[in-house]
Amino acid sequence: MRLLGTASLALNRIWATKIRSLLTMLGVVIGVAAIVALTSIVDGASQGINKSLATLGTNQLNVTSMFPDALSELDARALAELDEVSVMFVQSVNEGTIATGDTRVNARLVGVSSQYFEAVKPDIAIGSYLSSSSYAASAKDVVFGGDAAGDLGLTKDMLGKTVKLNGQDFRLVGILDDQVGFGTSGRVYVTLDAARKLFSQYPYVSSIVVQAKTPEQVDALQFSADALLRERYGLTAEAETRYTITNQANLIAAVGSITDTLGLLLTGIAAISLIVGGIGIMNIMLVSVRERTREIGVRRAIGAKQSNILTQFLIEAIVLSLAGGVIGLILGEIAAFALAIIGDWVFAIRLDTVMLALGFSLLVGVVFGVWPARTAAKLEPIDALRFE
Amino acid sequence: MGDEVVRLDKVRRDYLVGDQITTALDSVDLVIERGEFVAIVGPSGSGKSTMMNLIGCLDRPSAGTVMIAGDATNSLTDNQLTSLRSKAIGFVFQQFQLLPNTTALENVMAPLLYQGISPKQAKKSATDMLVKLGLGERLNFDRNRLSGGQQQRVAIARALVTGPDIVLADEPTGALDSKTGAAVIDLLKELNKEGRTIILITHDLDIAASAPRRVFLRDGLIERDERGAA
Ligand SMILES: Nc1ncnc2c1ncn2[C@@H]1O[C@H](COP(=O)(O)OP(=O)(O)OP(=O)(O)O)[C@@H](O)[C@H]1O
Ligand SMILES: [Mg+2]
Repeated sequence: MRLLGTASLALNRIWATKIRSLLTMLGVVIGVAAIVALTSIVDGASQGINKSLATLGTNQLNVTSMFPDALSELDARALAELDEVSVMFVQSVNEGTIATGDTRVNARLVGVSSQYFEAVKPDIAIGSYLSSSSYAASAKDVVFGGDAAGDLGLTKDMLGKTVKLNGQDFRLVGILDDQVGFGTSGRVYVTLDAARKLFSQYPYVSSIVVQAKTPEQVDALQFSADALLRERYGLTAEAETRYTITNQANLIAAVGSITDTLGLLLTGIAAISLIVGGIGIMNIMLVSVRERTREIGVRRAIGAKQSNILTQFLIEAIVLSLAGGVIGLILGEIAAFALAIIGDWVFAIRLDTVMLALGFSLLVGVVFGVWPARTAAKLEPIDALRFE
Repeated sequence: MGDEVVRLDKVRRDYLVGDQITTALDSVDLVIERGEFVAIVGPSGSGKSTMMNLIGCLDRPSAGTVMIAGDATNSLTDNQLTSLRSKAIGFVFQQFQLLPNTTALENVMAPLLYQGISPKQAKKSATDMLVKLGLGERLNFDRNRLSGGQQQRVAIARALVTGPDIVLADEPTGALDSKTGAAVIDLLKELNKEGRTIILITHDLDIAASAPRRVFLRDGLIERDERGAA
């Protein structure tokens, strides 16, 4: 008998026992659905993290310190002079309050130097960045981050109106589209001069960001920036707790390795659940071989070879497993789609996930189908026919 | 020597259950020629089914030689035995043994498909055979929608469709009422008139009496081999 004929026998049987077939597949369905959904969560999460890291730029170094008076604007100017540097900006971050009308909440008041918006280019929802005229006039203008704007319930018509930062009047010029949620305290951005008037901490800054001209120069820049700061403060190699230089590329790599580990973990879970699903299929196939012993005997009597019986049962196991894989894939992608909407990340059906899901369910069918199929094929025709 | 389709030479078949040996057939000699209608008769446990399994190439003897359509079965591999069975033997069982979830037509097509014949050709031959046995209206009925007599006719069509050298019927009337049973026997006789070799296994002496040749088995031995009208 040709393979097609044998396959149709297997399909016939699966269709004739629909409910039981569905229950048999359940293990594989759940295993595959779980792995597809979980993969998409990890994907989405790392997408989100990488996106927020990427807004900071991959060829940037971030110089920070645990101490409020460790880094000054003078350090920043010196760093800006280094050969590899294309852009430099500083941030001065302080906790404060923001208020409009009767609403007052805590927020981070961030003073940024003039290149900040140019370099970071955050998405803007309404209005504009702090302009060069804001800087020239040391104007008390403010750009709200999305979360801070949400906290105060700011709307489009507030643009150009007054809001209070630590009790002082500022003019709202823009709101960013960078909502993170998760209860992070909101950020608002003002010029460095305005921040100093609010907090009087000249000349200290919280962080200095220097951007290399090309991504290849980042490592060289890190080396020379370190050397420069050490020289300015007369520090030995051991005593470098005064400041930390963070390399964005390293950070992205670190996140990458975390998501890789997570991926590995998920693969492990998937493997276990697929094995459990496979054992379920094997179990039912063994029962089925027993129940159909007579049928096997009759088939042998009317001319079926051992190989015909083997193929029939093996295909049945493979079809069960593969169908379970397809159903699981569909359910998993639906769950992933729903999660993507909730988690606000981009939903995409990944070809490698699809291939992996189908490939593994095929493998499970073969591995766990072989034994029952061999059992069926090895039955002696006379015993099979006598079987009650 | 005529055209022998079955030749048993000193055939013995022992069954080992635990450490107990049962000799189901003991040194049996039997020759059946093409075109014969032979009834194999005997009480329960006399070895009829054992003999049928040997003639049907489902089993091999413990000692002696079984020759079917000129081939000795003793030394054949499982695959070779299956090929011989598929070519030379058509089975009719007591309990009809139609395949589950399968229509009459699919049942009759199955032996042809196992021979590697194309589905199109198999469908044609199977349809012709069912029509010949008066089941043209029942092609797509499965066994749950066929009467016992109809099921047995489907089973006979399935046994005949490959044009086997021998039709082996083990108690084909055992699960039928006497009228339907008689019709089945008449059908087998008719097929015999067309030149088919029929071996009918039964413990019903009336049915056996209507066969031109009767082989009586008792305790694994051939007790009598009669020819002519009983
Ligand atoms: N597979 C087997 N294993 C062990 N013993 C068997 C086997 N098949 C048959 N026997 C024994 O061989 C003897 C002959 O059995 P067989 O089935 O050939 O009898 P039978 O004439 O067909 O009887 P019945 O009319 O009841 O079908 C019996 O004693 C039976 O118990
Ligand atoms: Mg019997």
